[in-house]
Amino acid sequence: MMLPFRNSLLIGLVTLLVYSCQPTGQVSLYEGEPFNRLSDYHFFTGRQSALNPNTGVIPYDLITPLFSDYAEKARFVWMPQGQSAEILENGDLGFPEGAVLIKNFFYNLEAGRQLIETRLLVREAGDWTPLTYIWDEDQRDASLSITGGFAAVDVPLPDGTTHAIQYVIPNKNQCKTCHESGGKIEPIGPKVKHLNREYTYVEGSANQLAAWSDYQYISNYDQDNHTALTTAWDDPSEPLQERALAYLEVNCGTCHKADGSAYVSGLHISAESDPYQLGICKTPVSAGKGSGGFRYDINPGHPESSILVYRMKSDDPGAMMPEIGRKIMHTEGVQLISDWIASMEGSCE
Amino acid sequence: MYLSLSTLSCRFINMRFYFIYFSACLLFLSCADAPSVSVDEEGSEKILLALLEADSGAVIEIPEGFFAFKRSLSLDGVSGVTIKGAGMGKSILSFDNQIDGAEGLLIKADQITLEDFTIQDSKGDAIKVQDAEGIVFRRVETTWTHGANETNGGYGIYPVGCTSVLIEGCEASYAADAGIYVGQSNQVVMRDNYAHHNVAGIEIENSRNVEAYNNLAEENTGGLLIFDMPGLPQANGYNVKVYDNTVRSNNHKNFAPEGGVVSTLPPGTGMLIIAHRDVEVYNNEVTDYKTLGLGVISWYFTERPFETDNGFDPYYTNVSVHDNTFERRRAIPDITKEFGQMLNGLFIGKPQDIVIDGIFENADVHLCLKNNGEDLRFANLNAETASDLGDLKKLVDRNMDRFNCDLPSFDVTPPAL
Repeated sequence: MMLPFRNSLLIGLVTLLVYSCQPTGQVSLYEGEPFNRLSDYHFFTGRQSALNPNTGVIPYDLITPLFSDYAEKARFVWMPQGQSAEILENGDLGFPEGAVLIKNFFYNLEAGRQLIETRLLVREAGDWTPLTYIWDEDQRDASLSITGGFAAVDVPLPDGTTHAIQYVIPNKNQCKTCHESGGKIEPIGPKVKHLNREYTYVEGSANQLAAWSDYQYISNYDQDNHTALTTAWDDPSEPLQERALAYLEVNCGTCHKADGSAYVSGLHISAESDPYQLGICKTPVSAGKGSGGFRYDINPGHPESSILVYRMKSDDPGAMMPEIGRKIMHTEGVQLISDWIASMEGSCE
Repeated sequence: MYLSLSTLSCRFINMRFYFIYFSACLLFLSCADAPSVSVDEEGSEKILLALLEADSGAVIEIPEGFFAFKRSLSLDGVSGVTIKGAGMGKSILSFDNQIDGAEGLLIKADQITLEDFTIQDSKGDAIKVQDAEGIVFRRVETTWTHGANETNGGYGIYPVGCTSVLIEGCEASYAADAGIYVGQSNQVVMRDNYAHHNVAGIEIENSRNVEAYNNLAEENTGGLLIFDMPGLPQANGYNVKVYDNTVRSNNHKNFAPEGGVVSTLPPGTGMLIIAHRDVEVYNNEVTDYKTLGLGVISWYFTERPFETDNGFDPYYTNVSVHDNTFERRRAIPDITKEFGQMLNGLFIGKPQDIVIDGIFENADVHLCLKNNGEDLRFANLNAETASDLGDLKKLVDRNMDRFNCDLPSFDVTPPAL
């Protein structure tokens, strides 16, 4: 019933994109070695830093995203002509050869938007290739980087102040630390439960899964079946525990899972974990100074003596969690997890 | 350690297998007054890039020099790579100014050989190798240069989840947890290593088919530990042989941050076995300990919570300790940690040679202690029903005769390298 409306909406969107932008050519993907410049892909038309998506480049958002030093993220997906993803049994998306996930990291500073880096995941020969492009100082384009690097940023905080950091742009191997699943690189965000909400497109609002389906970027969407939905970590109307678990799953569970890079710790964080796997009354194994002098990962009722909270607060590379991708404490995230632990009953003794 | 080296020129040759070769001309500067460090920044960048771009089979040579890094180095997914330096204390990779990454060098790749270099002052673990099949550490040093601080990284040499591990001729010092730590790994040989001034010198944890021999552990808080910890994917270890090691003077202050199990280790511990099965300890010299030569305890004795859902066994079983030398120090045992305080409370001012908690799963023979010298101070704490020191004083049994036995031998599957 809604479908015709959505179709017309998206056709309108596409028409707009095709006719309103500088003719910079269609999106193209490299054969062999990756392009050195981001603009060579033609993901964006006109002035690159404006991030105006080219035909076939669709923006998306996630319900509960990973915290990355308060950076804003503009995400897009692109697939080759005639290709589409398939929703798998577990709610993941199976992407076709040539699909690209595009994530731009930037800050809205007083002087205007400052793009730091653009990360791509490119589906090649059945695997994902991670690529990182670092934006030029003049913001005209971005260049491929293997080693990553540092960028000095005065990060604007929610309270209106700023915090100076050396923002870390990951190197090639670091991408895998978070994106590893069973030894392979996998996307983290684009799954049914993370995408399943309205997005405000240029022409209006639509459910992201339905929009991808209408655009034939998903071949088998069934709105009656594909109803998985994660909790928005920052929605105060949702139950505290669900918000906390959604936050932890995205910010910790990508590594702390049975086939993730932190599996050796035995701390496996997802909404389905039992209390001990979640860290409740679990003593640390190889935390070193990450223990903060505390005995339990989660000490029920006591966020102030829970290792989990200590490591979320720390900015010491040898103690902090996540181990990479964060230089500033996520005050609002720490508050959420602290509130959740404070609300727990019981004792480890 | 300070080096006064100045690299005059470096040549970078990129050959077929990303064979990286630095021809470095080194000039010694005089350092009569203050020691100075010449950091080879260009070399650091080359090492970083060489690791990131390494292809299978690459040999990455690190010349003599002092190379500083602000972030972790890593090698991922390429097999058969060799990282070779000019020697321990000669090719130094320093992480003193590290601002990113939880370890100095992180490796997730198979058939890797690490030789002849030093990693120092990493903010977290020095060298972590995860999930590798085939990893050789040969003459590799890990250390922290600012003394025994709780802010030092946890582990020096740290293979975890690996199969086929050889650690030989290495030196590990000043780790705030364990100098050489093998966790959840299988088919491991550790030999001819030197671990000193760590909290734990050498630690074998939840690992299977491990041989440790000809190692020297001295001046640590505890010399050599064999632990099974709860809550881990590899729930239990077994088939561990520890022989011909020298474990002496491990009386160092415990500088581990509170929280981890090693933080409870009393200074003056020679060896400690927790909740492990199929362990044979023989022909070792365990000497000059001020608290205890060998402890054998179950997980219950740690009074820490655990779950058995994953198959974790909290008891020790089939542990044979024979033909070792135990020589305690004449000293007051540790009073800084609970276990030390307990021993001091039970045997005032008297270091013990062998202490067991006496908590067994059933009446079968689980522990044998044979031919470990005369006049041993032995204590079976019989701690199962004890709730305080008063109970322990009544329950403790000094008679070792019951444990004068033999246990079935077992074979240790060697690494496939």
